[in-house]
This record gives sequence, structure tokens and C-alpha cells, in this order.
Amino acid sequence: MIKFLLKRAALTLPTFFALMFVTFVAIRMVPGDPVEVRTGERGISPERLAQFRHELGLDQPIWKQFADYVWQLLHGDFGTSVVTNEKVLTEFFALFPATLELSAAAMLFAVLLGVPAGVIAAVKRGSWFDHTLMGAAVTGFSMPIFWWGLLLIMLVSERWGLTPVSGRIDLINYYFEPVTGFMLIDALKSDQPGAFWSALHHLILPMIVLGTVPLAVIARMTRSSMLEVLSEDYVRTAKAKGLSPFRVIGYHALRNALIPVVTIVGLQVGTLLAGAVLTETIFSWPGVGKWLIEAIGRRDYPALQGGILLISSMVIVVNLIIDVLYGAINPRIRHGR
Amino acid sequence: MTRYATAKGLLGLGLAALLMGSTAVSAKTLVYCSEGSPENFTPALNTTGTSFDAARPVYNQLTEFARGSTTVVPGLAESWTFSDDAKVITFKLRKGVKFHATKDFKPSRDFNADDVLFSFNRQWKEDHPFFKVSGGKYDYFNDMDMPKLLKTIEKKDDYTVVMTLNEPNAPILANLAMDFASIHSQEYADFLVKQGKPELMDQIPVGTGPFSFVAYQKDAVIRFKANKDYFGQEKALIDDLVFAITPDPTARLAKLRKGECHHMAYPRPADLEEIKKDAALQMMQQPGLNIAYWSFNVTKPPFDKKEVRQAMNMAVDKAAIIRDVYLGAGAPAKNLIPPTIWSYNDTVKDYPFDQAKAKELLEKAGVKTPLEIDLWYMPVQRPYNPNGKRIAEMMQSDLAKLGINAKLVTYEWGEYRKRMQQGEHITGQLGWTGDNGDPDNFFFLRGCSAARPGGQNLSKWCNKEFDDRLKKAAAMSDNKERAKLYEEMQLIQKEDAPDMTIAHSIVYEPMRKEVTGYKMSPFNRHEFYGVDMK
Repeated sequence: MIKFLLKRAALTLPTFFALMFVTFVAIRMVPGDPVEVRTGERGISPERLAQFRHELGLDQPIWKQFADYVWQLLHGDFGTSVVTNEKVLTEFFALFPATLELSAAAMLFAVLLGVPAGVIAAVKRGSWFDHTLMGAAVTGFSMPIFWWGLLLIMLVSERWGLTPVSGRIDLINYYFEPVTGFMLIDALKSDQPGAFWSALHHLILPMIVLGTVPLAVIARMTRSSMLEVLSEDYVRTAKAKGLSPFRVIGYHALRNALIPVVTIVGLQVGTLLAGAVLTETIFSWPGVGKWLIEAIGRRDYPALQGGILLISSMVIVVNLIIDVLYGAINPRIRHGR
Repeated sequence: MTRYATAKGLLGLGLAALLMGSTAVSAKTLVYCSEGSPENFTPALNTTGTSFDAARPVYNQLTEFARGSTTVVPGLAESWTFSDDAKVITFKLRKGVKFHATKDFKPSRDFNADDVLFSFNRQWKEDHPFFKVSGGKYDYFNDMDMPKLLKTIEKKDDYTVVMTLNEPNAPILANLAMDFASIHSQEYADFLVKQGKPELMDQIPVGTGPFSFVAYQKDAVIRFKANKDYFGQEKALIDDLVFAITPDPTARLAKLRKGECHHMAYPRPADLEEIKKDAALQMMQQPGLNIAYWSFNVTKPPFDKKEVRQAMNMAVDKAAIIRDVYLGAGAPAKNLIPPTIWSYNDTVKDYPFDQAKAKELLEKAGVKTPLEIDLWYMPVQRPYNPNGKRIAEMMQSDLAKLGINAKLVTYEWGEYRKRMQQGEHITGQLGWTGDNGDPDNFFFLRGCSAARPGGQNLSKWCNKEFDDRLKKAAAMSDNKERAKLYEEMQLIQKEDAPDMTIAHSIVYEPMRKEVTGYKMSPFNRHEFYGVDMK
């Protein structure tokens, strides 16, 4: 197991390094640097421009800048935002709980609806439910998040008045200092009656918007994996033994059908974090997605590099965990057979 | 009751509670849906309106702009006098002004001259202990030429500050009313140094303003509460002021309609009609403190000829641009300054759209067609120009009718400005957003000193009649006299046509009907003192 883990971990190192390099180079290829973006029509005197560039190390050759950056990272220093002058790590971890809360809720929504829907569709293959679900899944998968979010806001919040438009809690009636950064937990701990409901209420729409694509993917994957498993001999044997359909499907078939679904769930973590960038912007959700968008606009190199690196590392780590989990569920992988 | 029915009932109750939200009673709270997060809470370090709006409730300046106007009025300085040579300004400071307290810091004294010196020296003196704190980039202090203007700032006594200038400069009083000149507490700075956390100066702001800072959660919310000790005549009439940071304009409008906020920043032009129809909302509008223009480089033929420049002004259909590109959010500009700035000359006659006359003028100037020129357009959207490329295309099509082939050119935004300032273009678009409401802050754009390569006079136009008046007005302290000169300058500029003034944007501010007493600021500031709710 340890050998397996080490092997997997070693495989992530080149990915990590490539990521570092691509992020570093890509942002520098975007025209305009952090100093120029700050100045408006008034412009900036060449002396001040040179001074600021020097302070940010932008006057160095690019290879030197990259080497310095790697050296900094090796010392655990992700740099300081050139806009707010705060440490990138501090900013990231102040905002990350909001992203995590939203992503976890979206994933929960996707799994809790997607797996049962996929199972039912497989069991009732060819039925109207199956056709409707698969049609909806294709639609959901191809849904542009920005459009979907705005549509739900206009319909559910504005027209029907069922949910708040955006934000994490009702700002007029509730105020408490954040402790964990997870609004649901903080609201629960705040002892303010109604705060938790308000927080939950605010989570509904962004959760649905962010969870839509993973929901579609999981439902489709569960269905096809389930169909495959249902045609296996051991399922037929289980049925022949006279087990209840619930036991056959829920225990024998689903357990095996879930193996590829787990992998897909892992891969969806990347989709979720990418989707969070848009969802957070639409719903004024103060997470790292929105922060990264602003960092691009302001050419905040350290924030952008650090943020992308941290998020990508998380995706890599989650996929590593999934690999391990997959191995645990399916020993054939672990033993390399 | 069966287990199923009980569960169903509980679920129903839960959902009902969830969907109804809360009904808790609160103090008078105004929620402003703002467009973004501030960089920090020290205006001197920042350059964006978003950051200034977020810090403004907390601070005052020596001089201030009267709410809703560009007129300079006393702030923390209750009066000032100029020396005979207009180089020395003596400020008498207001007594009994209290700084806000925070959870940890309790001010032991009132505002005095030390706070003024601290606030300016931090931006000015490189050896000041706070100069380097939070990055130490004081863009506005430098952009407004304060290091060049200021000779000394001295404390005469606790309530008298003497500012000596290197040369007479009338706009300085307006400069001092700008956000970068906000007055901070020296005592708070000392306290933070003792705590070993000087950077908190810029994160937990302490000022004398109508609201005191309560809390900030990045990208989510900023909270303020009314300052009961505020010295100003116009106080905070609400108890709590909340900035709900909502970057998407569609979401901002949805929140406003639903009552989740009471006032919103920057509506989308496409939503204006719908907002006007909404019975729960009201909308204010006025021209922004800005100008979009099309500059002709007078150092390059044939634009060295006045007739050609005038012809250009007549060749382009300005009304069509306002209609099709600004979509109602722009007003045609005939002067460089918008009508909200004092000294605006309404007697100036703009050039009519008259292509026949334009052709005549071109012939008179001896211009042979087809004529090849370049037309630089902005690669970015700006408050005064929603779509540089579209405007350029419309101009190009109008010019083609006169046999002028305009080649459209653009560069990356930083590069674009740099090259235009060097004068590489033949003709090109740009614009300006005013800083302090003083006419000089616009007219310097056509002054001779800005016509040098690298300067901001993109027409590279140096007209002695214009420039003499510009210099003279800057050295005078009587605004009535200055206004006369600026009015004359507008006539000179229109006649000599170094540019075509395209438009001033129109700024719209939607709010709920229950908001009363709000005044639109010509500076596009969002200010909530003196604002109440029905």
C-alpha cells in the first residue's frame, strides 16, 4: 500500500512542476503588468514605473523571476498580493472555506440525486423516466453555468421570491464574526435564531447551479455502469437465489457499479472548482473563484499563481485520494493486476 | 399520525421556515449593493472608486466637496487664508473633533495638527515610519503633483497648520478634498506601532467621519455604524450602513428589486428602461465627471491645418454614436469639461454634422482625397467610452464618405496610452475622468506643458492664447475670475479644434423608493450620510 501511495505521489510531482511553470508563464503573456493596470489615463512617470517594477522584481529576466518564485515556494512562501499587500496564503485560506462549503454542498446535491436517478434509469431502462433523465442529463451537462445561474436568480428569486438572490446570509438581520469561515457552522454557533436557516436558504441556488454539471455526469455514469453490472452473471445468480430486488440492486449491483462513479466524482472536483469561479461571481459568494477572477483583472501575479497552484494541488491530492480509495474498493488496481 | 405523515409535516415546516427566511427586527439599516472589494481602507494607497467608496464613510479631509457638488467647503479645517503671494495657506483646524474607537484602540485626545502632518508626511517623506507600510504606493499624491507643489507643511499650534507651496496653485484646495488627502489619527498609528501591527492602519480604519467601521469580510460585506459624535452638520441618519459586495450587475439589480439592498452601483445600460418602469424603484441620473474625445495630432499633416480638424468635427455623426453606442447612457459633449463643473461655457456652439461643409473645408485646406489616415481606438471599455472599436467603425464609415480612408489601429491598453502620449498616432480616441472637480483638472490636457512627447496632451496642440489663460487661472484664488478665463478657453478650443469632444457618460443610480435624501455626486461617489429611509 505504501509503495502504491509513494508511486502515485511521485507521479504528481511533474504535474505540479508543469502547473507551476504554465501558470507563471501564462499570466505573463497577458498584456499589461500589475503596475500598468493600476494606472489610468493619467499614466505613470517612467521613474515611478521603473521603481515599482523593480520592487516587484518585474525588471528581472523572466527565468530569474521564475527561479526566484520556485525558491520562494520551496520555502513555503506563496508571496504577497500586489493589490492588497496581504500574504497570498492568508487571503486564500480566509476565502477557501466559502468555496469548500459551496463545493461540498454541490457535490452532495449531485451525488444524492445523481446516483439514485442513475440507478432507477438503469433498472427501468427504456422507460419514459430513463429517456427523460438522460435527456435532462445531456441538457444539464451542456448548460452554461453563467446563464443557468442568472436564469434561476430571475425565476426563483425575483419572480417567485423563493430564495434570496445572492450572498451567504441575510445581512440586515444577522451579524456575527466568522469563526470557521463555514457560514452554516458559524451561523449555528452564533446563537442567533434563524441565522442557520438564512445561511441554508442562501446556499440553495448556488448549490443547484454548481451541482448541475456533476449531477448530470454522475447520473449518466451511474446508469451506464449499473447497466453493465446488471448483466453480470453474479447478479443473475443473486436474482436466481430469490433475493429481493432491493437487495440485488442496492447491495450486489450498486456496490460494484459505484467503482467507476467514485472516479468520476473525483474528477468532478476539478469541474466544481472551475465552476465555482463563475458561480461565486454570480452569487456574490466570497470564495477563491471570485478572488482569482479579480486577480486576473488586476494582474495580481502572486495571488493568481499562488491561488491556481493551491487549487490545482487540491485537485491533484483529491485525485490521489480517489486513486487510493479506488484501490481500496477494487483490489485488482492496488495489486497491479 | 403515521411516521410518514409526521416526517412529511416536519419537512413541510422546515421548508416553509427555509423559504420564508427571517423576520427579525433590526435597526435602521441601509444596504448598498457595491460592485467589488476594496484594496484596503486607506484611500492614499488606492486608485479605484470602489476602494474610495469603501473608505469614505470613515474619513474627513481638511477641505471637502459639498454633498452632491464639486464646490469646496470647509472640512476638518474650519477656515483658511492665503498669503498675498498665494503661496502660503494657513488652515485653522476644527476643535472638539473625535476619532472613532475600535475594539482595541480608544482615542485619548481630539483631532489636531499632528494628525494632519501625519497624514501628509506618510505619503510624502520617504523616511516617515509609515511610508513603506502596505506597499507605500501613493499614486494620487504623486499624480496630483503634490511633491512638486508642496514646499513645507508645518504645525503652528495644535489647531493651525501652515502649508507653503512652491508656486501659487488654486486647484490645491480641491486636491485637499480628494480621498487621498483623508486625515488619519497619529495616535492610532502610534498605538499600532506599539502593538507591532502597523499594517492594521490600512485594514481597520479609524477616522472622524459620519460612520465608523465595524467589520469587513473580503468579497462579502463591509459594515459601518453611525458615528454619534460626528461634527458635521449633515450626520448619518441611518443606524447601520452595509455594503453588500455584489460584482454581477444583474444580481445587484435582482437584489435591489427584492429589497435585499436599497441602493445599487453601476446598473447595466440595457436594464435602465426596466428600472424606470419598476414602481418600487427610483432612479437618479446626471452626466459623469468625464469626457471621451477624439484627438487630432496637430504635429502631423494634414492635421496641422485648422480647417482639416474642423472638417473632421463636421464629418462624424456624433448623435448616431450617442444613440447606438452609448444606448442612452451618454450625452453629447461640446466642451472638454462636463456641465457639472463650474465655469462650463454653455454658449459654445458645437460643430454640426454637415459632410458637405466638411468637404468644402477639406478642399479649402488643399487636402486631396483619397486621404489615408490612422484612427486609434481604445482596446478597453472605460466609464466614458463603452465601446471604442464600435465608435471607431462608425467614424470610419462616416469618413469614407468624404474619401478619407481611416485605418483602425489599437494596442494593449498600457502600450496604447504610452504610444499616444509619445504622439505616434495621427488621430486617436481617449478620454478623462476628473479627480477633483476643478476645471484645471481637465484643461491641463490641452496645455502646452502636456504637449511634450510623453505628455497627456494627445493632440500635441500648444495654443498660446489657451495656455496663457490656463497658467493664469491656476495661479488665481478667486474662482469667479478663474471661471471667466476658463469660459474663454472653451471658445478658443472649439474654434481651433484640436479634438472632437464626443460624449460625457450619463451616470445612473437606481435605489428603492424608501431611500430619501440621497444626492448624486458629480464624482460618482456613493455617500450615505444625510440619507434616510422611510
